Amino acid sequence: MPTAADTTITPAEDGSGAVTPTSQHEEEQAPAPVQAPESAGLAERLRAEVGARAPRRVARHPVNEAMIAHWCDAIGDANPAYTDAAYAATTVHGGLVAPPAMLDVWDRHGLLERREADDPRARVIATLEQAGFVSVVAVNAELEIHRYLRPGDLLGNVQTLTDVSAEKRTALGVGHFVTSRHRFTDQAGEHVGDLQFRILKFRPGSGQRPPAAANPNSANPSGGSSVTTRRGPSGPSGPPDPDPARRPRPAINRDNQFFWDGTRARELRIQRCDGCGALFSPPTARCWHCGGFELGWIVASGRGRLYSHAVVHHPPAPGFRYPLPVGLVELAEGTRVVADLVGCPPAGLRVGMPVELTWVETHPALVDGASDERGPITLPAFRPAPPPRRTDTLTAPEAAAAIQRSGASEASEGPEGSEAELALWSVPVTATLIVSGAIATRDFQPVHHDRELAARRGSADIFLNINTSVGLLQRYVSDTLGPDLLVRAIRVRLGAPAYPGDHLVFTGRLTAADAQTGRVTVAVRAAGGLGDHLVGTVEVVLPGGREHDETRAAAARAATARAVTAPQARS
Amino acid sequence: MSGHSYAGRTAIAGIGATDFSSDSGRSELRLALEACVAALDDAGLPASRVSGLVTFTMDGNPESDLMRGLGISELTSFSRIHFGGGAPCATVQQAALAVEAGVADYVLCYRAFNERSGRRFGSGVGDRPTGTTTEQASFAWTSPYGLLTPASWVAMFATRMMHEHGVTTEDFGRVAVACRRHAATNPLARFHERPITLADHQASRWIVEPLRLLDCCQETDGGQAILVTTLERARDLRRPPAVIEAAAQGMADDQQMMRSFFRESLVGLPEAATCARQLWETSGLGPDDIAAAVLYDHFTPFVLTQLEEFGFCGRGEAADFIRDGAIELGGRLPVNPHGGQLGEAYLHGMNGVAEGVRQVRGSAVNQVPGADHVLVTGGTGVPTSALVLGRDS
Repeated sequence: MPTAADTTITPAEDGSGAVTPTSQHEEEQAPAPVQAPESAGLAERLRAEVGARAPRRVARHPVNEAMIAHWCDAIGDANPAYTDAAYAATTVHGGLVAPPAMLDVWDRHGLLERREADDPRARVIATLEQAGFVSVVAVNAELEIHRYLRPGDLLGNVQTLTDVSAEKRTALGVGHFVTSRHRFTDQAGEHVGDLQFRILKFRPGSGQRPPAAANPNSANPSGGSSVTTRRGPSGPSGPPDPDPARRPRPAINRDNQFFWDGTRARELRIQRCDGCGALFSPPTARCWHCGGFELGWIVASGRGRLYSHAVVHHPPAPGFRYPLPVGLVELAEGTRVVADLVGCPPAGLRVGMPVELTWVETHPALVDGASDERGPITLPAFRPAPPPRRTDTLTAPEAAAAIQRSGASEASEGPEGSEAELALWSVPVTATLIVSGAIATRDFQPVHHDRELAARRGSADIFLNINTSVGLLQRYVSDTLGPDLLVRAIRVRLGAPAYPGDHLVFTGRLTAADAQTGRVTVAVRAAGGLGDHLVGTVEVVLPGGREHDETRAAAARAATARAVTAPQARS
Repeated sequence: MSGHSYAGRTAIAGIGATDFSSDSGRSELRLALEACVAALDDAGLPASRVSGLVTFTMDGNPESDLMRGLGISELTSFSRIHFGGGAPCATVQQAALAVEAGVADYVLCYRAFNERSGRRFGSGVGDRPTGTTTEQASFAWTSPYGLLTPASWVAMFATRMMHEHGVTTEDFGRVAVACRRHAATNPLARFHERPITLADHQASRWIVEPLRLLDCCQETDGGQAILVTTLERARDLRRPPAVIEAAAQGMADDQQMMRSFFRESLVGLPEAATCARQLWETSGLGPDDIAAAVLYDHFTPFVLTQLEEFGFCGRGEAADFIRDGAIELGGRLPVNPHGGQLGEAYLHGMNGVAEGVRQVRGSAVNQVPGADHVLVTGGTGVPTSALVLGRDS
C-alpha cells in the first residue's frame, strides 16, 4: 500500500491518472493519524480550490510507434490497428493509431521528473494530509476518447480540480472525495479526450474493516496464489486452514510414480502402452488392448476442454478455499483428468469451455504430518483458455440483435450463458505483467516494480497499476468484439488490488446497442482473488452504424490533408 | 431364463432393524446384534440355527463378534461384499448362493454403524492415511484436488446429466420431494412427518454444485439384518417368504469406485445395466411387471439414471417420467415407499431390502397395492447389486 508520503509523488497526484489502488480489505500501514478536527476553515480552504486549473502540461515526446509497441507487448494486445500500417489503413482509422487506453500515458512524467508544485489537486491533497486524511484510494476513472491519437501527435493536458466533497463516512474511513478532470488536446489545440479521476483521501483507522477480509478468495478461488494464502489458526469454530500444504497428499506407488515425477517437472504425463500406443488415464498396470506390461508415457499438450465440473462448498477440508471449482478435463489427447479450476468464478464455468494447463505447488517440501517422504507435490490445475482474438468485427446491428435475443431468453437462461455475454477471459497476474505494464504506461511507482519497497510500504507484494488494468480491459473488449471498433469511453470503479499469483477474470455483457449510430455499451467486470478489481462500462462504436462511417470519412479527409501538407512542410 | 439356480428357490424369511437415529447411544456391535436378533424374532428362528453370515467389507463388526454375541457355536459360511453401498443386494445374493449350494442353512446378512454420531461418510476421505495400495493410489486422482466426498463425486456426473439431457436441479428435487413425502407417513423414518416442497429443495444450500443439501441423504445410526434361507425352509417359518426371484451384481465399463469419470459416457450407469439385464433374464420379468421400486438414493441424480437403466423409461427421459408424480405413491411406479435413504434412513441400502420384503408381504406402512414383484437396487456409481423380490405363489 502507498504510504502518505507516497501519495505526494504518485503519477495520479501530478495529474496523469494512476493513483495506486489501496485494497479495501487491507488498510495501509499509515502513520498515526494526526488529530486535526475539521474546522470551517478546512472546508473553506478545500472549496476555494474547486475550479482551479493547472497550467497545460505538454508531453516530452510525440505519440510514437516505439511506445505503442511496448504497450502492446506488455498488455498483450495484438490488434494490428496499432502496429501494422498496412492493416491499419483498412480500418476505420485509415492508418496507425495509438491504443485509446494510452491517452493519459503520453504526457506523464518519466522516472526522474517530479510534479509541478502549482497543481490545485496537489494543494488540496497536501491540505487534507495536514488534517490527518493521509490514506488514499482510487475510486473512479473515466476516460473519454474523442479522437484516436496517431504517431506524431503531440499531446498536452490541462488539469482542473472539479470537486472536493464534504466530509463523508465510508467503509474505509472518514474522508473527502477529490475529483479532477484532465482535458487532453493535441498540437493543433484539438480536444482529443478527457480523463476524470476520483480519489478518496481518508483518515486511516476510521472505517469498519469489512468482514469479507477474512475470506480474500471468495470471489475467485485462484488456488495458486501464494500472497492470498492466510495461515491463520484453524480452531474448531473457524474454517479449516486453507494452506494448500494441508491438502491430502496423493498416494504414490509404482503404478502412478511416473505421473507424480512428471508434475514435479511440470509435465502432465499420460500413460501410453509401449506396444500398441494406447493411452490410459488413470494408469493401468497392463495394457488391456494388446496385453503388454511395458508402459511408458507421453507429455500432454496442456490443452483441453471442460468435460464436467463441480463446485465444492461443504464440508470444508483443510488445504482448500471454498467455494472450490473442480474440473473434469478432457485433454486434447483424448484422456481425462480431474484438477482444480483456477482463475474462474463458479458462475463462469461452462461444459465444453476450452481450458489450459497451469500448476499449483501445493506441498512445497516435506510437510508436518505427511505420512510419506516423497518430497514436494505439484498439482496440475486448469484455467479458462484465453478466447481467441476476433479478427472480424461485430457489427452494431448484430450487437442489437444479440441483446434482443438474450433479453427474450433471460427468464430461461441456461448454463450456456446468453448471446450478449462476452467470452470469459482469465488473465494470470504475473510479476512480469505488473512490471512491464507499469513501465509501458510510464508509471514508475516502486509499488509496481519493486517487491522489497512494496513490502516495506505495507503491501503484500507489487500490484497492478490502474493503467495496465484499463489497458487489459480495452484489449478484452476489442479481442472479443473485433479490431475495427472505436472506443468512446471507459468508465470504471476501482476495487481490490491484483497481486502476482492471482487471476483477473474479465467478463462482459452487451447492454445497449443503437444500430443507427453504432454506439454499443458493454458492462464489464474484472474480478480478482480479493474481490472485484474493476467494474464499469466501455462504450464503443461498431461498424454498421453512422458514427463508424463518419469517423472513417473524417480519417480519410485528414489523411488527404496530411498528404497535401507534408511535402509543403519539407520544401 | 439363465442359470441363476438359487433364483425362485431361495427367500428372505426375516427382517429386523434397530431404530434409525442421529445418535444411537450404543456401540456398532450392539446395533448389529439387535438387528440380527430382531430378524430372527421376525422369522421365529433360534440363533443357533444360523450357520452363515454376510456383511459389507466396510462394516466394522467382524463375523466372529456377531457369532459370539448371537451365541452361535459354529459357522460354515461367511463372506463380505466390497464397494460400500453397492453391496446390500449382493449380501442377499451371497446368502442365497450359500443356502442353495448347501454350505449353510440359514444365513444372516447385516449392516450396522454409527454413521451419524461416529465417523460421518459425508465428511469425506481427506483424512484417510496415504498409502501405496492400489485402492489408496486411486484416490490420488481426486483427493488432492478437493473431491473428497461422495457428494463431490456424484456432482461431476450430475453436471454432465444437466448438460446432455437438459435435466435441472428441480428435476433432482422432485426425487427428494417424493421420498420425503413417503417418509412423512412412515413412523420409523428419520423424517417422519417432515415432508418438503420443491421450493424447500431449491432454497436449500449448496453442498457441491449442482447438488443441494436436500439432494443428499442424511447419515444415520442404526442396524439392519436380513435372514435368508431356501424357499422350502422359509415356508416353515413365521412370516410369508419374500422369494428371491433374481439377484445380480454388476461392474462394468472402466469401473471406478464412485469416480468412473474416465468412461466414455457419464450419463449412464453401465454397472446398473449389467444388473438389470441379469434380473430380467433370470426372473423372466420386465419393468412393466414391477409394482414398486426401491432405488438407491444416497443422492437424487442417480435415481433418474436408474429409472433409465432398469428400463422404466428411455435414456434421457427420466426427468419427464417423474415430472407428473409417477414415482410417488399412487403414481405409475412408486419409488421408495418407505422414504428411501433420503427420507427413512441411510443404511447403505439394507433398509431398502427390508422395504422390498414388506411390500411383497403386504405389510408395508405405505403399501403399494398388488406388489407381486418389487425391484431393490444397491449403490450407484459403485460396483453394485440388485434384487427382484416376489410373493410366494
